Amino acid sequence: MTNEHNDHMEDWALHAYVDGELSAEQRAEVEALMARDPEAARKVADWKRQREFLKTAFDGVLDEPVPQQLAAALRERTAHPRISPWLAMAAAVLLLLFGGLGGWFLKGETAPVTVADLGQQALEAHSVYAVEVRHPVEVPGADKDHLQAWLSKRVGTAFKVPDLTEQGYTLLGGRLLSGDEGPAALLMYEDQKGQRVSVVLASPGTDMDTALKLQESGKLIACAWQDGKLAVAVAGEMARDPMMVLSKAVYEKLEG
Amino acid sequence: MDFRRQLSAELPVLRRFARALTGDPALADDLVQDCLERAMLKSHLYDASRPLRAWLFTMLRNLHISGIRRSGRATVVKTVDDLADGEGAVPPEQENRLAAGSVSDALNRLSPQHREVIVLVGLEEMSYRDVSEILGVPVGTIMSRLSRAREQMRQLLEDRGYTGLRRVK
Repeated sequence: MTNEHNDHMEDWALHAYVDGELSAEQRAEVEALMARDPEAARKVADWKRQREFLKTAFDGVLDEPVPQQLAAALRERTAHPRISPWLAMAAAVLLLLFGGLGGWFLKGETAPVTVADLGQQALEAHSVYAVEVRHPVEVPGADKDHLQAWLSKRVGTAFKVPDLTEQGYTLLGGRLLSGDEGPAALLMYEDQKGQRVSVVLASPGTDMDTALKLQESGKLIACAWQDGKLAVAVAGEMARDPMMVLSKAVYEKLEG
Repeated sequence: MDFRRQLSAELPVLRRFARALTGDPALADDLVQDCLERAMLKSHLYDASRPLRAWLFTMLRNLHISGIRRSGRATVVKTVDDLADGEGAVPPEQENRLAAGSVSDALNRLSPQHREVIVLVGLEEMSYRDVSEILGVPVGTIMSRLSRAREQMRQLLEDRGYTGLRRVK
């Protein structure tokens, strides 16, 4: 904190001061800086005031009575399906995530896994797990043999974990996306820049070959197909062309 | 403590977080409800050595983001860059009587990325480290988003006539 002008490091120290992130010693340094630099003192005052404004605007919520619907949700043994545009999608994920429970959750309904469904499920699962810094997967890529055996067994159709090294992706690992009724495997890969892609595999109980189908949701894109007994979807944040190239590579690796 | 009782204890804070994240009371409570349902279904995945609140925030925030992605709802009405000079300004005599609505309105104009950081740090008082885990990005990114978000908030509040936030040139 020798430079008294607006360099970023100094601003960051001021933010950290406002947010209580500093040690006593560091706080003293910032206070000394504020004493000799009115601009620094003003910034700190501004940001503290912003914190107060946020509290003033939203703390009232803490004293509101809890709405009936929320109290009821807590009393339920488990979730009720509700008709809301995005819950319908969430239900698809839940079905995938909790296949065993899911069948019961949707009162015995089990949606057939079509290629489009799998693409959507891959988009959802990717958006949930790709952001996980610490636990994106259950079994790390280092245990590839175990991962392959375990997920093949649970999915019900044997497959080979695709090696995407040539495409620039390293296997992070995998996880199971459901219980007994809708088993699916998620494999996650990461490139050198930390960009992640997911490959989701399921066994829909039919034997057919389909074309590749692209689906987009915001910045995410998925490409799904069925090849024999195995339905496959690749999801990630990229443009259509690279997704097609990557999907074809996954297709070939699974075949070979 | 019973998991449901723990959830119940977090409910007021969870509602505040959702309200600030969405700016819409009905939407916020829908999110909270879905978050609770999901939390109960996934309770076996909760690592009890970590704070429940951060786990719930992560879940609620991810539900919110996938809601935005899917429907385009809650997109930013107007970002700070779109604002013409003085648009939305209130007469100077109202300064220092900043209505809660103005803060909420200013938050609405931030990008979702800036908004969630300023809400988690400034309102929910989460540590940078916790916010980094909740959002899945490094602490350095949190700090630069926070810095930009606060600068935009300052400008937005100033546009709404709150001159107390004006920087000395």
